Amino acid sequence: MSAIMQQAVPAGTAARGAIRIEDVVKIYDPGGAAVMAVDHCSLDIKAGEICMIVGPSGCGKTTLLNAIAGFHDITSGRILLDGELLCGADKPKAEPGSDRIVVFQNGALFPWKTNLDNVAFGPIMQGKLRPAEAKEKALSMMADAGLSGVEHNYPGEISSGMRRRVEIVRALMNDPKVLLLDEPYRALDSLTKSVMHEALLEIYYKNKVTIFFITHDLEEAIFLGHKVAIMTTRPCKPKKILEVDIPHPRDYSVLTSRRFRELIEETNEAVHEEALKAFAAGEKEG
Amino acid sequence: MALAKKSLISTALWRGVLSILLFLVLWELGSRSRHWLIQEEFEWMRNLLAMAGWEKKYLPWIGPIPAPSEVLKAWGGVIGDIGYWHSWYKSFSRVAGGFIAAMIIGIPFGLLLAVSRTAFGIGFPVFEVLRPIPPLAWVPASIIFWPTQELSITFVTFLGAFYTIVINVVGGAKSIDLRYFQAAQSMGSSSWDIFRRIILPGTLPSIMVGSAVGMGITWEVVVAAEMISGGGSQIGGTAGGGLGFFIWNSYVGGSYEQIVVGMISIGIAGFISSELLRSLGKYVTPWLRLR
Amino acid sequence: MLEILKKTMPFQVVSDTMLRRIAELGKRVAYDKAAIIYDAGDSAGDIYIILSGKVEHTLEPGVNARRPVQLLGAGDVFGWAALLEKFPHRLAKAVAIEPAEIVRINGDDLLRLLESDPDSGDVVMSRFATMITRDYTVPDLIAQMRAIHRKLHSSDIQGMNLTMYRLSLWLKSPRPYLMLIGFGLFLSFWYLAVEVWKLPRFREMPGLTVVIKEWLNPDPSYGLSIYTAEYYQHILVSIWRVTQAFVLASLLGVPLGLFLGWSRKFKEYVFPVFETLRPIPILAWVPLAIVMFISTESAVIYLTFLASFFATALNTMLGVESIDESYVRAAYCLGAKRHQVFRHIIIPGALPFIFTGLQISIGVSWFSLVAAEMVSGQYGLGYVINTSYTMVRYPTIVIGMITLGFVGYVTSAMVRILGDYLMQWRVRELALGGQ
Repeated sequence: MSAIMQQAVPAGTAARGAIRIEDVVKIYDPGGAAVMAVDHCSLDIKAGEICMIVGPSGCGKTTLLNAIAGFHDITSGRILLDGELLCGADKPKAEPGSDRIVVFQNGALFPWKTNLDNVAFGPIMQGKLRPAEAKEKALSMMADAGLSGVEHNYPGEISSGMRRRVEIVRALMNDPKVLLLDEPYRALDSLTKSVMHEALLEIYYKNKVTIFFITHDLEEAIFLGHKVAIMTTRPCKPKKILEVDIPHPRDYSVLTSRRFRELIEETNEAVHEEALKAFAAGEKEG
Repeated sequence: MALAKKSLISTALWRGVLSILLFLVLWELGSRSRHWLIQEEFEWMRNLLAMAGWEKKYLPWIGPIPAPSEVLKAWGGVIGDIGYWHSWYKSFSRVAGGFIAAMIIGIPFGLLLAVSRTAFGIGFPVFEVLRPIPPLAWVPASIIFWPTQELSITFVTFLGAFYTIVINVVGGAKSIDLRYFQAAQSMGSSSWDIFRRIILPGTLPSIMVGSAVGMGITWEVVVAAEMISGGGSQIGGTAGGGLGFFIWNSYVGGSYEQIVVGMISIGIAGFISSELLRSLGKYVTPWLRLR
Repeated sequence: MLEILKKTMPFQVVSDTMLRRIAELGKRVAYDKAAIIYDAGDSAGDIYIILSGKVEHTLEPGVNARRPVQLLGAGDVFGWAALLEKFPHRLAKAVAIEPAEIVRINGDDLLRLLESDPDSGDVVMSRFATMITRDYTVPDLIAQMRAIHRKLHSSDIQGMNLTMYRLSLWLKSPRPYLMLIGFGLFLSFWYLAVEVWKLPRFREMPGLTVVIKEWLNPDPSYGLSIYTAEYYQHILVSIWRVTQAFVLASLLGVPLGLFLGWSRKFKEYVFPVFETLRPIPILAWVPLAIVMFISTESAVIYLTFLASFFATALNTMLGVESIDESYVRAAYCLGAKRHQVFRHIIIPGALPFIFTGLQISIGVSWFSLVAAEMVSGQYGLGYVINTSYTMVRYPTIVIGMITLGFVGYVTSAMVRILGDYLMQWRVRELALGGQ
């Protein structure tokens, strides 16, 4: 176990990044056929917590994430970040901002910028740092994350696992309150995925940022999360909320522990049920 | 909510209509400038133009163009004329002739280049060397070669569509996912089956793309060829040689309104043929309809 | 042995031929129980792949590994220090804890083999890196693996060597000879049909030898050859017209396309007019252009411009619309303002399409230039072709056509080179994609 992991702080001590989702409803309306994506969903995420959202593909998890990020509006309900209103009755759409940064499903590193320029992008755009300073900070953060050597490569030249790490470092450059991860490891093979999980935990122990993590992989959810919210298929709302009582810091030995197996068994049925419903409803992948 | 969405669609429509109307009004005003610019109120504008080196009594560029209202009137004049419709027919039959010839020769040729490495090695470099020569540069050579003007115009039209169709067929066939072949082979398909059931349908979408582009070029070429070659037989009256000749003849005869009538007619004709092609494409590639 | 190699993590995805060559490098060695395969500090020459049996692998305390002791079985690889220049000595002790059969491969030989085929070599090395990261987490080693990884790549980018390498590959393949056959067939058919067999219709055409003689004649019978100044004057006039039209079309078309794709409102207002004018063939504009512009010169340039303009604007618009929504969202997330998104996301994101558009645009500008010059104009290659026809100088027509093809090709290649230069990221990505 590395030295960093031992200095880890238990969850919930970070002062910022608490998300409160209250009774959120989102109805999509393509040409009048109302499609309910999120149905009276409430969820409380403590500051500095890793909250895993599990549900079948296309259940509306991403809709929830997009509402928090400010990519689209909600129909009713409200979302608070550290007690401040992000979106609600008078303001159906949140402003996207660098306090809530999304890591996208298929990755959104700008292919036309080098990895270094990608990482330095945020502070330069916000005018917080001058380009030279931003690049210096980016270099040191990339070195910390084990990404030295690829700074001047383009994202297209490095492995997809590394790209995800660069993307997370790009988010952390802005010192966000919340990281919103939308199935970031979906496209990776299971070997790379396992490396990525440990790397993510390492980053988390260093930065103590709140993480809102969407996945459809139950093992991934229980391995990483403090809290696992299992969602119903469309419309999406929490079916079961599980507090994972395996102490952090965790590493791969957790996967073979009895408690882990028990938790999986406890939740597996709920997930499977929703997956069957989604399959029957004929949801397309996405 | 439903209302909001619907009104959104209609805003797009209204904006489109508004902008086209605005365009027509500006055009009308611009071409009528030879009437109003000479009046006293607009002396300042004349002075302004004079400073820019324009001494004429109408606006530059737009001034000599006939106004939409005049064009409409002229159109009303020719719409009952058999000759006008005869030029539609002439141009259409030339486009169809050249285009169908390009499909009949271009698709097998492209497929041959795509499936055989040897054929590709022999044929493609020659093809690539000839391709940058614009089709219209072939007009004189074509007139010398072919016995009738009709054939020579059709030949140049054919060339215009031929290159794009071949390029798209080769590209389309080469980009077919290798896994389809492996799947077919593992299910025991013969090479003829693979050709017929995988290469041909796999190439169809890009054949349709190539055809759509080719159709556009075909119209360009027909119009130009008709203008350059003088429109073929001039026995059939003023409009004997197709829409391109109709335009050229109107120009020679000084009837500027009819030039614009011809231009719009060709625009409509091109649009109709693209639409026909598109519905044909939808019909032959039903699996793409869902996207 | 091939079967085992195929199961080992670094070689899983390597092609069979490569695998066979790797297997040829290997030597089978049997170890008794408790035999020390190597000890920390020994010099590192070979890497080892276990065929059967078990081996205990203990890393030196100094290397800060996450899991110092590992029990290895069939299909596992160890002794990878042999691949690393910075570690000439073993960092671990390897002991057979039951009788084991092991394949030894010389590290230098393996590296040389991998370098000979950068594509699969790259895969093997990155797999090694993943393996070391996952199983051992030795920071120095990882850094060095990356360095090797880059070295494999750098051979890709050393332009001159690569060009020579590709040239030699090309010469070894049947392609140049097939190409010669192709041109041979084409030219001999031209020659035979026109000048030897004198086939009907072909008889009228200018023959191959006639054209070449005329083209290379210091004293051409029809007035145009590579020795006459007029020939170059026509070429320059055409190029100058295309350049003006192309530059103007790009300067207006690219921004228009960017805004059409970027602002929905702008598109709703402007695009309908654009789409009404676009289906009208450029050539149909010829008489109107002559009426609109006082000088023929401006009319010709206007026509050439028009075709380019539509192609450029349309492709640029499609380019902006094709940009993945998540890039725009990511940029807003990272705190970019609207104008910054336009500058850092929209413009570079649309660049590949813009250059496709410019390629098409330069093609259509030659297309319409020829037409415009044929109909009206006093100079230029289109004019040469048309007047040669009316003056019955048939060989000159062919000279004009070939010249046009050549000049057109060169200009479009120039646009492509400019595009590659501006889009380094894309070139490198494609190079990795096994091009």
